[in-house]
Amino acid sequence: MAKGLEISECQRFGLATVMLRKNANHAAVGAALQVAAPADPTWVASNELTMIGTGPGMWLALTETPSQHWSATLAERLAGVASVSDQSGGYVIFRIAGSSARTLLQRGAFIDLTPPAFGAGSVATTVIAHIGVIIWQIDDVPTFHVALFRSFAGSFREWLDTASVNLTF
Amino acid sequence: MRIPCPYCGERDVQEFVYRGDASPVRPLGEDGFYEYVYLRRNSAGVMREHWYHAQGCRNWIEVQRNTQTHEILGSVFARRVAL
Repeated sequence: MAKGLEISECQRFGLATVMLRKNANHAAVGAALQVAAPADPTWVASNELTMIGTGPGMWLALTETPSQHWSATLAERLAGVASVSDQSGGYVIFRIAGSSARTLLQRGAFIDLTPPAFGAGSVATTVIAHIGVIIWQIDDVPTFHVALFRSFAGSFREWLDTASVNLTF
Repeated sequence: MRIPCPYCGERDVQEFVYRGDASPVRPLGEDGFYEYVYLRRNSAGVMREHWYHAQGCRNWIEVQRNTQTHEILGSVFARRVAL
């Protein structure tokens, strides 16, 4: 792997979609989970749970320490407030980090990934190489996480390898 | 063309699906149903139109756009208008 770029696949995580019920509000989600669920495309983490904003009243709930009944527990805590659907087996999450990570992703995503438009804490649901992706920036290394449907993982990995060929460091 | 999504911010038009004029309102009875389904004005100037952010936040939005200049004057969630 080229210097300044590290690509790996997150091996162990629990992922679920959380969708707000019709007459519930954001604050109730935050109260139930003790994580302030963001109302805009950003992510917030607390108590080993990350809430990633993907739309109004829509989040991805992510944990890197999933127990066996993790999503069922999440659904119980959100009963009457939001609907939970386990996606742990449906998505892959790529970790793309290093000084060239932003340049690489910028070759595929037609949104501005440079600060202040996009920085640590930001989330974007968009498309790279015709593949729907959810990108969130972890830190200022920069490190990005990219979630996509598992069946597209091979194609996306191919795009990553092709697009990173002539990166200079 | 770039469309401003109220949630995601400004995005390329490729992420959206165009639905058309946002002004027709579904009638309660049979009267006016033909017009509601089939008849559209071919507006020259500012119009309100429905766009679906299929490859983003998957919400319907209502965009004000000038069909002559392609200038976009603003957008809101379609459900905000409907409620």
